[in-house]
Amino acid sequence: MRRVGPIFAVLAALLALWYLAAIWMNATWVYDQAQRSGVEVTLAELIPAAMAQDRPLLPPPHQVAAKLWEGVTAQAITSKRSLIYHGFITFRGTMAGFALGILLGVGLAMAIVRFRVVDKSVMPWAIISQTIPIVAIAPMILVVANQLGIQGREVPKAIIASYLSFFPVLVSMVKGLRAPDQMQLDLLKTWGASEGETFRKLRLPASMPYFFASLKVAVAAALVGTIVGELPTGAVEGLGARMLLGSQYGEPLITWAALFASAILAGALILAVGLVERLAAVKMGVRA
Amino acid sequence: MSNALILLMGFGFWGAAWGLNIAVAGSAFGRTRTGRIFMPLLFGLTLLVLWEALVRALGVPPVILPAPSAIAAKFASSTDVLWADFVQTAVKGALSGFVIGCSAAFVTAILCDRVPFLRAGLLPIGNFVAALPIVGLAPILVMWFGFGWQSKAAVVVAMVFFPMLINVVAGLQASERMQRDLMATWGASYTQALWKLRLPAAMPFIFNGLKISASLALIGAIVAEYFGSPVVGMGFRISTAVGVLNIELVWAEIAVAALAGSALYGVIAIVERGVTFWHPSQRG
Amino acid sequence: MKRILTAGLMAAMASSASAEDVTLQLKWVTQAQFAGYYVAKDKGFYDEEGLNVTIKPGGPDIAPEQVIASGQADVITTWMSPGLAARERGVPLVNIAQPYKGQGLQLTCLKEMGVETTADFADKTLGVWFFGNEYPFYAWMAKLGLATDGSAGGVTVLKQAFNVDALLQKQAACISVMTYNEYGQVLDAGITPDQLVTFTYREEGVTVLEDGLYVMEERLEDPAFQETMVKFVRASMKGWKYAEANPDEAAQIVIDNDDSGAQSLEHQQYMMGEVAKLTATGNGALDPADYEATVAALLAAVSPDNPAITKTPEGMAWTHAITDKALAE
Repeated sequence: MRRVGPIFAVLAALLALWYLAAIWMNATWVYDQAQRSGVEVTLAELIPAAMAQDRPLLPPPHQVAAKLWEGVTAQAITSKRSLIYHGFITFRGTMAGFALGILLGVGLAMAIVRFRVVDKSVMPWAIISQTIPIVAIAPMILVVANQLGIQGREVPKAIIASYLSFFPVLVSMVKGLRAPDQMQLDLLKTWGASEGETFRKLRLPASMPYFFASLKVAVAAALVGTIVGELPTGAVEGLGARMLLGSQYGEPLITWAALFASAILAGALILAVGLVERLAAVKMGVRA
Repeated sequence: MSNALILLMGFGFWGAAWGLNIAVAGSAFGRTRTGRIFMPLLFGLTLLVLWEALVRALGVPPVILPAPSAIAAKFASSTDVLWADFVQTAVKGALSGFVIGCSAAFVTAILCDRVPFLRAGLLPIGNFVAALPIVGLAPILVMWFGFGWQSKAAVVVAMVFFPMLINVVAGLQASERMQRDLMATWGASYTQALWKLRLPAAMPFIFNGLKISASLALIGAIVAEYFGSPVVGMGFRISTAVGVLNIELVWAEIAVAALAGSALYGVIAIVERGVTFWHPSQRG
Repeated sequence: MKRILTAGLMAAMASSASAEDVTLQLKWVTQAQFAGYYVAKDKGFYDEEGLNVTIKPGGPDIAPEQVIASGQADVITTWMSPGLAARERGVPLVNIAQPYKGQGLQLTCLKEMGVETTADFADKTLGVWFFGNEYPFYAWMAKLGLATDGSAGGVTVLKQAFNVDALLQKQAACISVMTYNEYGQVLDAGITPDQLVTFTYREEGVTVLEDGLYVMEERLEDPAFQETMVKFVRASMKGWKYAEANPDEAAQIVIDNDDSGAQSLEHQQYMMGEVAKLTATGNGALDPADYEATVAALLAAVSPDNPAITKTPEGMAWTHAITDKALAE
């Protein structure tokens, strides 16, 4: 209780602030409309009017919650109006990008630790790649992928997501694979261990804590990448597309609902990865 | 020149450059400063040559993927447009948002540090929010703050605030208990302890936060321009030039974005080296 | 250049191995703007012609001209201005049919922001769509003699998002709207028509044809492809005429085809009603006079940094070869 108390207090404060801001921001429209039709509004009329607009500047929390609830429960989950359906599309893209990112990150890390030349010539580019805004390249990735005969958006989306998610894995794995100290490496050498054995028996186990620690960051990055991949590349399915379409069709509530749905998805993913991390730690004999 | 020949030359260059890099990596030159810069440069050049060869040999239409040489020519001939876009997006939007967001996060972190209740409440939330796709807020913030660079800066602030906050808060916890006790026995005030011990100890974390924020800042500023902008800006150009099949210009903007992002990152890394020279990660 | 085009052509051919498969790339998201094609598909008009039509919705960041150049579509819908611009940039598109006779593009202004006539534009902020849709606006401003670089006495141009927020939040005095889409959104938001002043491009003397059907020039040389396009245009126009006669059914068909699930039926019904006004006046054949007017309007506004076209289009920018056969009974 001591730990959650402050969190609830801060959340409550944010919620109150949100309500106040909603009244304040939505008031302009109420006043404008009143002026256009030549009537006066009192404060008592203003507050309910600001709370129930079709296209509010800032919808109050209960309006967002209602829209979210409607998106989840008002139709079959296979319906294209269902947030579960769109959430699943985004989840699938995230997982594909996450898996691709892990493969890429681990593979590159192994090459970097093994070959000095890869370390020296590729590693700087891996860092530079993260400073290039992925959004700029996203549509180009789509076009080039189409040209290569890859239909649909799944593959380009996974590439965009892995572009962001491979980096934390790479950095942690390089650190992890280099974690064994010289004494341990020498010991294996005196035992006559081959390079493959050294890798399997020493470097790989030593890198595992680093690997699992990087997964949380990587899965969050993959989600961000997937949403970016759904935002401007003409996607019509997925939470990112819902955010864009809500803005396009002048229905901000759709955007807000998608935003919170993606927050919930992010939370679930991080929890799940955290669970895997803990299970792995227990299995490897670490007392949690 | 036949297509097969172009392709062969492209791959030939790749092989030769890779061989050279292996040689350099094993030599004494590879350990010098010039050698360490030479190798990634050669690798980057190889990628460009390969790209050029593939585009030429396979006859890829320029409206799909232009050759690097065509992009370079476009870059050279439209420097005025690129510069105006750079100022609008990178300087006005991204940099101002970066500075505001990081400063605000810093002040909040100090507040959290002074008020343990706030830290206990805000930090878990911050940790969570830092993992969210804040970029989705872009259409909403553009609606709130108008079409100018202010809304772009606002998106950047929203994106960098929480990653920066959790890094600074973590950094402020980084000094050891013993060191803090020592400061207390010397009768140091909160500010003195902050300045002399805890901030310096937090520097590696702060710079880590700054580096993460630097790449987020450009993404935020560019995405925000997709949702309305004046008729200048990198995001504006990227999102509209495709519609008039000016693909070379899109890639030129991507090059500018890459250069700007790398430059910002580089500046932070250099300052970090100067400030945290004492830290183990900077030695050797 | 020649080799590059042939490569593009070969890619295009490879994508449609069977002659009767047709891929249509739309200019924008699934909505009643394209009702004719969705109706033709769902009511089986394409099937009757023996065509297997795939309709790809568009959206922001999708340039149909780029899609067809990469061989990912056989036929696209686009406005004539980006179509001609693409031709000048080495993607020789040919207009084979023009279902949209009328023009839906308008500039709508809030009276309370002080705009009553075009004379009031000076020093105001105007919202414009880009991505190839900006040419009619620039042509009009050139006609009015208003600078668009933000200098005093000119107008400030804003790249507006895909919605009407800029007007509702009073960030712009005027914004671009389509009669069938955004104008309805403005009204839905609670603004009444008498609070607005709306300028129609055609009435202002700027004729720029909107959604037409375009194909790559080289492919028209193939009689088999011509035959396919004849069938496609015939079935599409049948779809359009059906949609005009049955707007509510057409709107429902559009909703059924919307993968995003974010479109509302009421708005699509409104859109279908407005779209019908633009399509009902034509039979699908391009009026050469409209083409000439479009070219003249675009050439009147050649700006160095943002030209649609810089010279009269060369070669076959349009043809009646398809519509002559398709529309003959």
